[in-house]
Amino acid sequence: MRSELPVARPAAGAAAGAAVGAAAARVHATLDAVFATVAEVRDASSRRLAEVAAAGRAPVRADLAPLRPLLLPRLGPLVCGLGFIAAPGLLADAAWYLEWWQTGPAGAPSQLLPDLDPESSALYDYTAWDWFTGPRGGAERTVCGPYVDYLCSDEYVLTLSAPVHVEGVFAGVAAADVFARTFENEIVPALREIPAPAFVVNAPGRVMASNTAAWPPGAVYRGGRGFDARPCGSTVSLLVGAR
Amino acid sequence: MDSARPAVFAPVDNTARVHAVVRRLGDAIALGLLADGEQLPSETDLAGYLGVSTVTLREALMALRQQGLIETRRGRGGGSFVRTPARPFDLDGRLRPLAAEELRDLGDHYAAIAGAAARLAALRSLPGDVDRLRRSLAEMAEADPGPHLCRLDGRFHLEVAAASQSVRLTREEIRLQADIGPLILAAHGRPEAGDRVRAEHAALVEAIARGEEGRARDVAESHVANAVEHLIERRLAL
Repeated sequence: MRSELPVARPAAGAAAGAAVGAAAARVHATLDAVFATVAEVRDASSRRLAEVAAAGRAPVRADLAPLRPLLLPRLGPLVCGLGFIAAPGLLADAAWYLEWWQTGPAGAPSQLLPDLDPESSALYDYTAWDWFTGPRGGAERTVCGPYVDYLCSDEYVLTLSAPVHVEGVFAGVAAADVFARTFENEIVPALREIPAPAFVVNAPGRVMASNTAAWPPGAVYRGGRGFDARPCGSTVSLLVGAR
Repeated sequence: MDSARPAVFAPVDNTARVHAVVRRLGDAIALGLLADGEQLPSETDLAGYLGVSTVTLREALMALRQQGLIETRRGRGGGSFVRTPARPFDLDGRLRPLAAEELRDLGDHYAAIAGAAARLAALRSLPGDVDRLRRSLAEMAEADPGPHLCRLDGRFHLEVAAASQSVRLTREEIRLQADIGPLILAAHGRPEAGDRVRAEHAALVEAIARGEEGRARDVAESHVANAVEHLIERRLAL
């Protein structure tokens, strides 16, 4: 058996290379689909806040309600939470606020935590999460997670986010949540075509989807160990090991 | 036959559920986890969150109203609002109905969850997770004893649980915080316990930052055990 391996290698290597390319493309396309929705929310939020500014007043929570016809229909099989998260101090009537909608337990869209007071609710300080600090720091696309979202959904989720600017000033974040299991189901069929251990990690190294129990979602890849990294866009990478 | 049906199909152990909701919300209000004047979610939403029927929730809200812990206003902008009581959290009142065995068992359960979560957090934390824990430590160091410190403490332990990457362990941490949390906070909130509690929090974060799984689990377990030991001593002295 051993002597036959070198003969089989070129063909198998080409097939494996194609499978790796296809899996990377699948990750890229899935992230792009979610970021397209994030971009719509970003543009609509920016326009809405610019309108309020043009009227010569500071925005209030109610000014964000007109975003709802855009947000609600976009919740579905891929996106399970969606909205605009105000930078602290942006709104005149609330220190912190999320115009955030998610698929409720019964399947209908629901808005959670309509009022967040940092004095009374230390729990809801969202400014330390990567999905907020990334866009605030200037990143156009941030992929955060998977992480346990005890703030909104009590689920294992990914949050994809982008900055919202009004007249060049950071006003908050547009973001979309995807259940980790949804992302995994989108990606794993392509990963299984790769005839070697392969998994997808976010920028800091958290495993997002995998074809091997040795690297399950939530595990941390800290570099090395003979894996080749292939970028999939938005700082996400596909890591492929030796057979 | 037919007349017996409503009784047969009535919720099992409804009184216990009403008591559980009253205790949960009552503790949160007494500790200041729910702030004075804060509006509670609608009855339907709150019943959904707590996993009880609206009938059970209404009975519980009625009891809380009678205790003066909430106030209900009708009409537009109405709803149930929190009223912070003049008297502080009554630890002895909460301990009296519990036997030492029950306290020990509550502590065993919480230590198992907190220990397992801390071990996995040490295994799976990224620098960003550790940064959040350090920020909570810094905020706790600044805070005066009271409701704000209690909220930060709750958030800190929730952050540790979430860093485990386990949704189930995190949900269990939330459930136990609502259940035994107020007792633990009361034990940890004693002035003479302050230094040890701070040292345990710092040791837990260091173990997680260094990826020392066993050490993280041991610290998290003894953090709970120390509080429960005090609670049992206090219960036995009543």
